[in-house]
Amino acid sequence: MKENKLPAIRGLMLLVALLILAPASLRAIEKYSDPATVNRRIEQLRQANQSMVKVHKLAVTPGGREMLMIEIGRSGTSVPAVLVGANMSGLTPVATEAALELASRIVSDASLNSSLTWYIVPVGNPDAHARYFTRPLWSDPANGRPFNDDTDDQTDEDGYNDLDGNGIITMMRVKAHDGIWIPVEGEPRLMRKADASKGEKGIYKLYTEGIDDDGDGKYNEDVPGGTNVNINFPHLFKSFGRRSGLYPGSEPESAAMLKFAFAHPEIAMMISFGQTNYLLSPPQGGRKGSVDTENIRIPREIGSAMGIDVSRSYTMDEIIGLVQPMMPPGMQADESMIASFLGLGAVVNPLPDDMAFYNEISSDYKEYLKKKGITAERFDPAQPEDGSFELWAYYHLGLPVFTMDFWGLPKPKDEKKEGSGITAETLGKMTSDEFLALGEEKIAAFLKESGAPAQFTAQSLMTMVRNGQMKPEQMAAMMKRMPAPKGDEKKGDPKEAAQLVFSDIWLSGKGFTPWKSYSHPTLGEVEIGGFTPFTDNTPPESMVDSLLDLHLPYITELVSKLPRLAITEAKVTEKGGGVYQLEAWIANEGYLPFPTAMGKRNKVPAPAIITLEGEGVEILSGKKRTPLNDLGAMKSARHVWLVRSPKKGSLTIKLESKQAGNDSKKIIIGG
Amino acid sequence: MGRRKAFITTVVMAMGVTLAQAQEVQVPLRFDFYYSYEKMNEALRALNKAYPELTSLDEVGRSEEGRIIWALTINNPGTGELFSKPGVYVDGNIHGNEIQAGEVCLYLANRLLTNYGKLAEITEVVDRNAFYIIPVVNVDGRAHFFEDANTPSSNRTLRIPVDDDRDGLFDEDGPDDIDGDGSITTMRIRDTLGRFRTDPADPRLMIAVKPGEKGEWTRLGQEGIDNDGDGQVNEDSEGYVDGNRNWGFNWNPPYVQRGAGNYPFEGTGIKAIAEWILARPNIILVFAFHNSGGMYLRGPSFKAAGELPQGDITVYDYLGKNIEKIVPGYKYLISWKDLYSTYGDFTDFTNNLVGSYSFTGELYQAETETFDGSAARKSEERSRIGEASEGERQRLLFDDNVNQGELFKEWKAYKHPLYGDIEIGGWTKMSTRLPHPFMLHELVHRNASSVIFAAKQTPKIMMDVFEVKKLDGDLWSVRVRLVNSGAMPSVTYETIKNKWYPIDKLSVEGRNATVVGGGVLTDPWLNLVDYKEHRPEVQMCQVPGFGKLEYQFLVSGRGDIEIKYESRKAGTVSKVVALK
Repeated sequence: MKENKLPAIRGLMLLVALLILAPASLRAIEKYSDPATVNRRIEQLRQANQSMVKVHKLAVTPGGREMLMIEIGRSGTSVPAVLVGANMSGLTPVATEAALELASRIVSDASLNSSLTWYIVPVGNPDAHARYFTRPLWSDPANGRPFNDDTDDQTDEDGYNDLDGNGIITMMRVKAHDGIWIPVEGEPRLMRKADASKGEKGIYKLYTEGIDDDGDGKYNEDVPGGTNVNINFPHLFKSFGRRSGLYPGSEPESAAMLKFAFAHPEIAMMISFGQTNYLLSPPQGGRKGSVDTENIRIPREIGSAMGIDVSRSYTMDEIIGLVQPMMPPGMQADESMIASFLGLGAVVNPLPDDMAFYNEISSDYKEYLKKKGITAERFDPAQPEDGSFELWAYYHLGLPVFTMDFWGLPKPKDEKKEGSGITAETLGKMTSDEFLALGEEKIAAFLKESGAPAQFTAQSLMTMVRNGQMKPEQMAAMMKRMPAPKGDEKKGDPKEAAQLVFSDIWLSGKGFTPWKSYSHPTLGEVEIGGFTPFTDNTPPESMVDSLLDLHLPYITELVSKLPRLAITEAKVTEKGGGVYQLEAWIANEGYLPFPTAMGKRNKVPAPAIITLEGEGVEILSGKKRTPLNDLGAMKSARHVWLVRSPKKGSLTIKLESKQAGNDSKKIIIGG
Repeated sequence: MGRRKAFITTVVMAMGVTLAQAQEVQVPLRFDFYYSYEKMNEALRALNKAYPELTSLDEVGRSEEGRIIWALTINNPGTGELFSKPGVYVDGNIHGNEIQAGEVCLYLANRLLTNYGKLAEITEVVDRNAFYIIPVVNVDGRAHFFEDANTPSSNRTLRIPVDDDRDGLFDEDGPDDIDGDGSITTMRIRDTLGRFRTDPADPRLMIAVKPGEKGEWTRLGQEGIDNDGDGQVNEDSEGYVDGNRNWGFNWNPPYVQRGAGNYPFEGTGIKAIAEWILARPNIILVFAFHNSGGMYLRGPSFKAAGELPQGDITVYDYLGKNIEKIVPGYKYLISWKDLYSTYGDFTDFTNNLVGSYSFTGELYQAETETFDGSAARKSEERSRIGEASEGERQRLLFDDNVNQGELFKEWKAYKHPLYGDIEIGGWTKMSTRLPHPFMLHELVHRNASSVIFAAKQTPKIMMDVFEVKKLDGDLWSVRVRLVNSGAMPSVTYETIKNKWYPIDKLSVEGRNATVVGGGVLTDPWLNLVDYKEHRPEVQMCQVPGFGKLEYQFLVSGRGDIEIKYESRKAGTVSKVVALK
């Protein structure tokens, strides 16, 4: 951005205005920490806890800021670790605050720091995060890399301009022949698109606040900054996408995360603080391009070479069953092998086995919130963006990934006034009889609320349920897949309406600048106004402590679910002639599988290794090192060796897993 | 791996050092032997020393094992700065075992430099382009290919350990040169129940037994022992991150494609080269040399990419069809369609993210090894059950009678710690994918000539101000024509499609003049102009290959105006004209 072309005197006036009239949203800054303060707080934490806290300088951003990682723990890489990445988009200051608060809680909680190592990155995108603390205030996830957005002959030459001098970049609306926007009925501060099919004609054009700095006829089309770190990761990376970056890991911030994660196989879980919340909205599937592993077609050439009927489709388990007899002895056919052999490509939807724990944990979390007395409804959190940190950690590292956003706009109460009281959640738990007992009126209201297609009338549905053609559970599953209902279009975007209500009630109106006329150098008479950036996702400072007190304790729950491998029994049976059968039961005593289904597919999580160590013991069958590639949650696996031990001796069975702990058992054998 | 192997490695290395000291590399360079990694560096230094004005030698980066990746840049400063000319990037040996690719690069440099000022064509191609040459990308691979015992295909990948057998240990059980002859060949054991018997036509070959026939041999695979005692032999060898699957365009993880690496640019040398290339925005032509098969491949490398823009296909076809004639027998092909889909390829990266016409050259056709003088040996057809082919028998005769048995190790008895009495023998590492040095010279010359031919086709832009006409008072019409006499456009069509980099800029400026209108002159006779509404003094453009582009500017004012064409790839041309 070229410096504001506004006269210097105006800048001075702006400064004075800021000092006198600092709005609530600006005062909130004191709670949140800018990148420099974050790094100071990290250093303070380290100094106060030198035996437990280390600081890694992961990267220097294109904007020249240090991106730091806090390592907390007493056992380093010898115990499982949790990677916490916060604020990768740079748009979520509350995520950074949460990460710092989490770090200080871990330091003072032996149950968290004694058997786990924590790697916490409080700001994954320091350059973008810094914008929250500079004026004028605008929001953009781009890091400080110069980038020529409009591919003209200049770079970063046409950024926003604070024309009305209120320290906030808002919007401009201007009456135009080709306008497509009209004010919302009853709430003229909000705008909605005119619907020509209903005979409405657009009045306004909307622009972001600014002038055409480079005189190319476009406004704010090349604002400073380059890449959104949060979409610069390799899974579903969008080449040539806006703010994507040139290639996955093209930025020092993301490259550092890629390198660190793969250099630390002890990382067993990833927690992300940012724009998504898997605890409220578990990861969603439905992306095109993913192969349905319940319904795989086998290419003709492969089928004929292997004597498999190609006219039908198979489940993954069926194919494994078909292929296993053709494998060389000792080789196990698995999902990963089959997928790569058949060229099924990259997985793009969460695997069903993993969805089981995601859904269960999500219900548990909702229960947890209920117990804490949280009943207010909020807007559903967003799903992760393509190329994001959280998608990468699940699909490429094969880790269980949990995400939290700590706050979302509350749904205005009146919206639910005449509701049916039924949600997809409650529906899923009903029996057919309970559903029918609701009555036609309530069911009809529910269908309308959830935007069900017109052919689904309450009556037809009740008939289907009565005849056993459909169960409430199936209906709930369908509901969850449907796009969110549109609501009354004349009221505009319901989220904007809620944001406005929140601003009016909680921010004394400071979250919205009322439209005010302004004489624009090229657009003529315009009005400037609109939402204050960040007020849709950033809670006011007064709420931060209570929000963190509410949500952070659940992290303890999450990490308690990590897989834990143990040798639960080791038994020796004499076979005669100094030959013994050794039998060991390995159990996964954790709630989560080792590893996730995705980890099984991508084979990135390191296998657990079972080794036998003993003087004078010869292994007759079985291996000295036995890899254990996976063990489901609450499952046990039996391993058997045949050994010869002419003399009495001791034998140690050792189990070593980077992600799921170590165990060993010593047994006396022979003699 | 074995102590014995370590010993042999030391001996071979010591010999290498002695040899290097004995023969100093001199310009013009010789191409009747293969250059070790060290020798290659020496040759680059020698070229740099002999042509200090025309060349510079830069460290691009370092490999996993810390070896330096060198780039030789050839540019004549007398005809302009580096970035004022089209850049031609040539590399080789990204797969460590594909060593002749390095020699092609080295030959190209030697050819350009030693003939500069002597041959008009070479002088022009050097004066008009900047050449960036990285003969050895996988420096660790090349070094290990020379120093260690290998098969013709081993030491292909980067030195990033991968736990191939997932036992928690990395690269712990690769092949071993157990007979200590400097090559990893094949092990076989006598076995009356085996599936092979001796070929009656040539006792060195084995053929599969037919039902009812008695067997004689079982193949045990590559030479080696069970280093880690896990009951498997050679199941976790060096690598495996393939340098040519680790680039950041359409990269896919290892469970989709083996050898991808954990993330794009995991290879330190690969990343260094990527950054080096991205810092040279003038690169518009790329050649990456590999072996083998005799092919020049263009992208896309994967089916889902769809087809390239038609304008780019025209350029590729023009270059490819001509190259097929320069290197007889080689085929110009489309990577995914004619071979198979790959992800994270180097040339897809350069085609899409650098904006360069990019070829993968697969050097060497084994069929050209003939004993009886026929133009080509019968192609290597091996039936599914392993019948020895006529081609294989011919190949042995070629080695017997033309190479005096240099490349094939006769079967020899050996006492194996695990298998007992076995035989070891077969083709050595310098066979199969590499031409014998006596055939090397033609290979390097013809393939370097492909590069030189293509380099002649980089964009060559000339500007012609063909009309300065007074319209009224101070208002002038100025017509400018940009003509490109190269086959390549000034910007690839892919670049225009992707909207990532600015394209070329044509601007008009005068101290006492204002451009009031300007745009593409679509029809000079009907005076049709596609006027640009804002900033008419700046026009973003592309000059097509073997084509032209015409603009009309309406200029109000007087005195001199400068008309300037600036391109990332095709340099800068400007003219000053007077409004009078």
